Amino acid sequence: MEGRAAQLMGYETLVVERRGPVGWLIFDRPRSGNAMDGVMFAELERAWTELDADDGVRVIVNTGNGPAFQTGLDMVQLARDPEALREQSRRTAKAELRFTAWHLGVAKPVIAAVNGTCAGGGLHFVADADVVIAASDATFLDPHVSVGQVSAYETIGLLRKMPAEAVMRMALVGRHERMPAERAYELGMVSKIVDPPERLREEAQALGEKFARNSPAAMAATKRALWEAMEHGLTEACRLGGRQLMSMWGHPDQEEGPLAFAEKRDPVWQPMGRS
Amino acid sequence: MGQYTSLIVERHGPVGWLLNNRPEQLNAMTAQMREEFADAWNELDGDPDVRVIVHTGEGRAFQTGVDVTEIATDGLGFERYRRSVEDNDFHFTAWHQKVSKPVITAVNGICAGGGFHWIADADIVIAASDAQFFDPHVSVGQVVAMEAIGLLRKMPAEAVMRMAFVGRYERMSAQRAYELGMVSQIVDPPERLREEAQALAEKIARNSPAAMAATKRALWQAMELGLTDACRAGARELVSMWGHPDQEEGPRAFAERRDPVWQPLSSG
Repeated sequence: MEGRAAQLMGYETLVVERRGPVGWLIFDRPRSGNAMDGVMFAELERAWTELDADDGVRVIVNTGNGPAFQTGLDMVQLARDPEALREQSRRTAKAELRFTAWHLGVAKPVIAAVNGTCAGGGLHFVADADVVIAASDATFLDPHVSVGQVSAYETIGLLRKMPAEAVMRMALVGRHERMPAERAYELGMVSKIVDPPERLREEAQALGEKFARNSPAAMAATKRALWEAMEHGLTEACRLGGRQLMSMWGHPDQEEGPLAFAEKRDPVWQPMGRS
Repeated sequence: MGQYTSLIVERHGPVGWLLNNRPEQLNAMTAQMREEFADAWNELDGDPDVRVIVHTGEGRAFQTGVDVTEIATDGLGFERYRRSVEDNDFHFTAWHQKVSKPVITAVNGICAGGGFHWIADADIVIAASDAQFFDPHVSVGQVVAMEAIGLLRKMPAEAVMRMAFVGRYERMSAQRAYELGMVSQIVDPPERLREEAQALAEKIARNSPAAMAATKRALWQAMELGLTDACRAGARELVSMWGHPDQEEGPRAFAERRDPVWQPLSSG
């Protein structure tokens, strides 16, 4: 991960940058386990939106600086910032959260690269990513119930995506047990473990670059189809998926793809339209 | 019995076999093949001697989706395809055809793109140790929807999304498919796949056809509903077996230490 990163300025709690076709959103409060305070909540909304709108970005990788990936709410900081705490409580109560890619309707593929501890609210970013990889020393836990809080959104999201027993165990065992990266891989919560852990960003960039070789419009429609499927019964989900299929008909990428394949060259895709 | 050119339909004991038979084209599906699928599923489901259906492919691929050459060249292919998507009118998998018997997909090699329809829509999936799975749709500017939507109900979602977005630039091994629970058995050496599929099907064929049909309805219906509704609908399937002769025959045969004699599945 040497050089050639274009840093997008104006963030205090995040590092937001571009490496080739890959946009990076990096939690940057390492001394607080990258926990979210009022400033970070606002910056996350802005960063996801900025990267999603940037035509140069085709895939987004989300990771953290320091030993933790993300550890949820920074209760210490929020206790000193009653305005931010009130706003976050209001959004939680009304299910109007706006800090993950899913909350914000990000159209591009999102890879979470879990670099260390992922605890409690940190699981939001695992549940709401499309693809998740992890450093071999990453650990997962959900301490909510150990501090008298309810675990809901994050674990509900995970229930749709992986074997349920493991989710319930994490939710109920609280801080008294951690799931190692290896178990997360076995369960399909993550699709790759990177060892040594120092190579995590390199691997995430390489995976992001593979995604970036595919049609941006087809990926966006695929993403809509698959996430929409989590809202509906199987038959209805397939019917709605048919609409996403049809949405690509007549798009230049649908001709370019097979043509490039036949001519044994890399396809030249249309940038994603603003719709 | 139907006449098939792009499929082979056979019976081995209580097991109906449906084989994709366009090995030179990696079993890609033409309009002809699509129509044959509809007939073959109906034929095997309607045959009272068939209790379980195994689906596999000839050659080095299991299935690789739609025959793109035909769609591009015959002038009609895309029009037909368009109509079926617009009308949500599909007839090429067991699920589309509402097959009531257990269906085992035996993946004999490459399964790519649209080939996942028969993984998503089967009840049970086993694979040869050299089988490979990938979904190249987005690499050729196409959307993946139904196949992956089906898979999302049946296995960890992250793996489905990864395949959907990585396209043709990565393949999933049979081993990983097994770890993730996408398949329940890997057969090694690969040449023994059909033998193992037949053996598994014969085990399944020893169970009550009526009880299996009701169980199949209960479990697939559950994919349509929230948990409480699914259990309520499942209870109706449970109750549907009450008074059925198999419900007395099963415990009696067990007590008498003999194989039960089941009622054939009524075609109703």
